[in-house]
Amino acid sequence: MRILHLYHDVMNLYGEYGNIAILTKVLKSCNIETEVICCGLWEKPDFSSFDFVYMGAGTEENQKLVLEKLSEEKEAFQEYVNKGGAALFTGNSFEILGDMITEETGKQWQGLKILPFRVRQQKKSRLTGDAVFSTSKIREETVGFINKCSCIEGIEIPCFQVLMGMGNEDRGKKEGITFKNLMGTHLTGPLLVKNPYLLLALVNDLIKKERKEGLTLEEKESLEKGVLAESIAAYEVTLRELKKRMEKEK
Amino acid sequence: MKKISTILLCKILRWIGKILGKGSSLPGKIALKICPDILERIKLPPYIIAVTGSNGKTSTVEMIAHILTENGKKVAWNKEGSNQIEGVTTLVLNSATLGGKVKADILLIESDERFARYTFRYIKPTHYVITNLYRDQLTRNGHPKWVYDALKDSIYPQVKLILNADDPLVSCFGKDHKEVIWFGAGKLEQDESSFSGIYHDGKYCPVCSHPMEYSRFHYDHIGHYACTHCDFKRQEAEFEVTNADLRQGTITINGKYDISLQLKSLYNIYNILAAFTVASLVGIEEKSMVKAINGFVAKNGRVVTFRLGNRKGTLLTSKHENSISYHQSLRIAAACEAGCDVLIIVDAVSRKYFTSDVSWLWDINFERLNCENVKRIILAGTYCHDLAVRFSYTGIPAEKIQVLETVEQAHEALNNDRKEEIYVITCFSDKDKFLQRVTQQ
Repeated sequence: MRILHLYHDVMNLYGEYGNIAILTKVLKSCNIETEVICCGLWEKPDFSSFDFVYMGAGTEENQKLVLEKLSEEKEAFQEYVNKGGAALFTGNSFEILGDMITEETGKQWQGLKILPFRVRQQKKSRLTGDAVFSTSKIREETVGFINKCSCIEGIEIPCFQVLMGMGNEDRGKKEGITFKNLMGTHLTGPLLVKNPYLLLALVNDLIKKERKEGLTLEEKESLEKGVLAESIAAYEVTLRELKKRMEKEK
Repeated sequence: MKKISTILLCKILRWIGKILGKGSSLPGKIALKICPDILERIKLPPYIIAVTGSNGKTSTVEMIAHILTENGKKVAWNKEGSNQIEGVTTLVLNSATLGGKVKADILLIESDERFARYTFRYIKPTHYVITNLYRDQLTRNGHPKWVYDALKDSIYPQVKLILNADDPLVSCFGKDHKEVIWFGAGKLEQDESSFSGIYHDGKYCPVCSHPMEYSRFHYDHIGHYACTHCDFKRQEAEFEVTNADLRQGTITINGKYDISLQLKSLYNIYNILAAFTVASLVGIEEKSMVKAINGFVAKNGRVVTFRLGNRKGTLLTSKHENSISYHQSLRIAAACEAGCDVLIIVDAVSRKYFTSDVSWLWDINFERLNCENVKRIILAGTYCHDLAVRFSYTGIPAEKIQVLETVEQAHEALNNDRKEEIYVITCFSDKDKFLQRVTQQ
């Protein structure tokens, strides 16, 4: 299985490489060999032969840089996504997939226009906070942290429903975006490490494509008791702490 | 009249606050409410020195205050470290006469990075030290570039900027600024020729985004760099550490001033150098400066030695959510040739705000502990499992690592007759949970 980590050296603010580290570890436990290609800022990505594409969060400047770079490869990337290629964009990286990013000064950046939404960024205050979300993909809640300076309008099909924290639009209840097998969310950092059940759902989808059927029950169980055991313990602690917080804020 | 009453009220509130053991920001906050332009109405001393940056602010300010005081200057400074506009207001009003004149030769201000633009709108520094810009508390600071933009607004064209030449992002403040004094470290014995961290924030030029080349790394992305495309590069430092012997604990500044270190760390060198630079610029003679620095004992309690039963230990306070601060502690533990056991505690991420975000653990180069000197590792606290996940990617043999949910259990696990020294690495928010169980020295 071939994995592309896009612009790993600039879209890396919150330890995003952890996502790739845990994904390849789990796939390996399922006897699936992986090859990870890390594409740097000044390298040209090739989308023709990948099974999974990932990009993390960066500074607003670096976001514009990679938007410019990826615009040159737009057709190939769009084809990858339209054909149902699996992709995960976390933090502000998914903002570049829309129509346009408008800065506080009025400056506008044309997006990749793969999906119809608009982004407005400001420089006054950083919007940060812990998050608890739900998604139809899994039974368990998803936990994480959001760190952004934008508001996103026009997303019809989100990735998550907000139980605690920020949505695409300030107090909105929809967060992120889903399109075919692409998932975008403002949750930052090693989100797959923090959310082992979400990781399992992703692994299941990837494996299904590889060998026509998903994870067997035995495989799932052995992952939960093996390589993901500490990750699950950590997830439960975080969820417990965040739920306490939610109770307090009620 | 309003001025006098505001100053008086601030002094009284501070006096009461001290008795009650409260912080120093509330009196200033109330003063600003009553008289929003109070800071503009105060007559300030001829020298106003400001210090900001991600790491080392407090240590640098303490050292500057010590050098200046030892050399007969009267210094007003925020000892309590309340470094937002309210705390600075308390400091200024509390140091002023009722007529509104600050009774000091020098006003010395530690300022929070994000709030400097508000504070310095009223109090314009004459000398402005920026130590470094690192990934620090990203859960509220956003990221270093965000902090850079906020700090940029606090710099006035007339100020003397005193900048760390070895930090690429900090260097950008010097671009097109009239008066800049650079400090930095020259060729040091322990420099590395290639990057050895997890993330490389100096990989690309902060001006044109092309790749940068480093001839040496002092630590992380701090070193001697030059852009491969534009003319951005490390500036020659007027004040330079020309030699550093961390084993002996001595450094030399500008080839002739030898200083002995209380804290044998590379990071501490920059604090000393920044203090040396500032003191020199306000006219303190170098020899008496060296004398003052050599006699300086940091009081901030960041390094605490203790005994646990028969075992000797050192607690190294490191800031959670700040990988560079952690790296300093990890280097010290990994360098312990006699062999050591290391305890890492992440129980509360912050003492000031709530978050359960642990992304920052992935930015820390825990791989440094994968060495002969480190015999056992205990990961403890509420977030011990997150630590355990991170450590499972370090290559450190699993049998060396123990994962315990409480500090109490960690203390018990260390309470034995092993000969190894103990290093405890944790944050302000968690250190007392451990220290209350041992005998401090």
